[in-house]
Amino acid sequence: MTALLRYQTSIMLRSHRWIFPLIGYALLIAVGAAGSTSLAETLDWSGAMLVPVVAFLTRAMLTAEPDAARACVAAAAGPVRAQLATLIVPLGGGAVLGVVAAVFDVLTAAAAAKAPASGLAAKVTAAANHPGILAGGLLIALVCVLVGSAAGALCNPPLLRHPAAAMLSTLAAIVLALAADVSPASAAISHTTTQAASPVAANWPGTGALAGAVCLLVLTWAVSVIAATRRDNWSASSG
Amino acid sequence: MRLEAIGKRYGMRRPWVVRGVSADLRAGRLIRVSGRNGSGKSTLLRVVAGVSLPSTGRVTGRPHTGYVPERFPGGLPFTGREYLLHLSRVHGLRGALGRQRVEEWLERLGAAGYADQSLRSMSKGMCQKMAIAQALLPAPGLLVLDEAWTGLDQAARAELDAAVAERVAAGGTVLFVDHDPALLAGREDERWNFDGAGGVTVLTGPAPYAAPQAERVTIRLETADAAGVMDQVRAIDGVRVISVDVEEAERS
Repeated sequence: MTALLRYQTSIMLRSHRWIFPLIGYALLIAVGAAGSTSLAETLDWSGAMLVPVVAFLTRAMLTAEPDAARACVAAAAGPVRAQLATLIVPLGGGAVLGVVAAVFDVLTAAAAAKAPASGLAAKVTAAANHPGILAGGLLIALVCVLVGSAAGALCNPPLLRHPAAAMLSTLAAIVLALAADVSPASAAISHTTTQAASPVAANWPGTGALAGAVCLLVLTWAVSVIAATRRDNWSASSG
Repeated sequence: MRLEAIGKRYGMRRPWVVRGVSADLRAGRLIRVSGRNGSGKSTLLRVVAGVSLPSTGRVTGRPHTGYVPERFPGGLPFTGREYLLHLSRVHGLRGALGRQRVEEWLERLGAAGYADQSLRSMSKGMCQKMAIAQALLPAPGLLVLDEAWTGLDQAARAELDAAVAERVAAGGTVLFVDHDPALLAGREDERWNFDGAGGVTVLTGPAPYAAPQAERVTIRLETADAAGVMDQVRAIDGVRVISVDVEEAERS
């Protein structure tokens, strides 16, 4: 499995498929950091924006390998493990982005504590005094990474092979994930906004949201893996 | 390794591409799969190689597998050497052994000088060599070749023939499709012929490939009992095929 993850990570990094998701995400969290009033709110926003980033990173990886190259890897390591590696790598990429964004949010937060302090050290100290804020934010990010990965896995090859249909349904799934009440990502975020009365209050996603996100991920990955072991041709026209 | 009533179709409402194929893939055998275009050869090869699962039936006892697809268009952001190093690790070869096998196969296939080119800029033949090299890296117990000779230069074709012979001699099973009947002619132990409806007829050759190479010998016999002599010649160990051209002696 390590070899497969290394292979897929190399494809992601060398094909520059990470550039657009990364730039998009950097812009989004910069906007979020500028517009929020508390650290918890900032973390909320940068967590939510992981949904589109991970969904499109997953799409990028599911379309990166030509059919023939995937077949060679599947013969060597089995089609199940090959597909799992393809899905794990963008998930891991999203997790790394989430952690980096949380660090950025702490370092740029204007109101980490009740009395806004200036200076980097003061901000870090303020965040350290309220570790719940950061932990809650990271959990929200985790829920959003899982939901984003689920959306990407469900709306792209091998399940949805036509490029236009895949793009549009990925977008629709992202909007649903962030707006619909039933979505774990939306539940995690809105759960927190109702709590955020005090600027030092920690925002925790509900356990339901976390459990829902895990279930969603397992379900969509399973469907994607099953399709990958049965379909030989991932292009839109045939097979 | 065994195939038990393999069937494959791509969707519930689609026609069966392969159906009801049962066969033993014994060690040390070279198997030619033949049939017309679109008869299901490539699909069966992918199921045998474990690239995709059958819709019905099952495959048991598959050894470590190397698979060479019909076309290998490259398209990955690696140089040839980087790609092969990745695949050697995916095949489970560690560190120095993997690197050594990669260099060995690049050399044998005459691709060492081009291995630092990007896969995206390689010619069709050179890409095909990368696909062949990755399949042979682990010395697989099962080698599946889907028209792997297409686009190769003469030297590489001969090297692939030799590699197939090595795998079979080492007790591996090799399954191949090629439309050139002269390719490995007379060397196969079994022929799997596709009919038009996804079924396969398995024709078994008389001797394992490990037997000494066949030679063509022309013998002129004068006898009153042609049938009896033929039976005796057939009974000689190592004789596989006899073609007879009987000339009736003029009776005077």
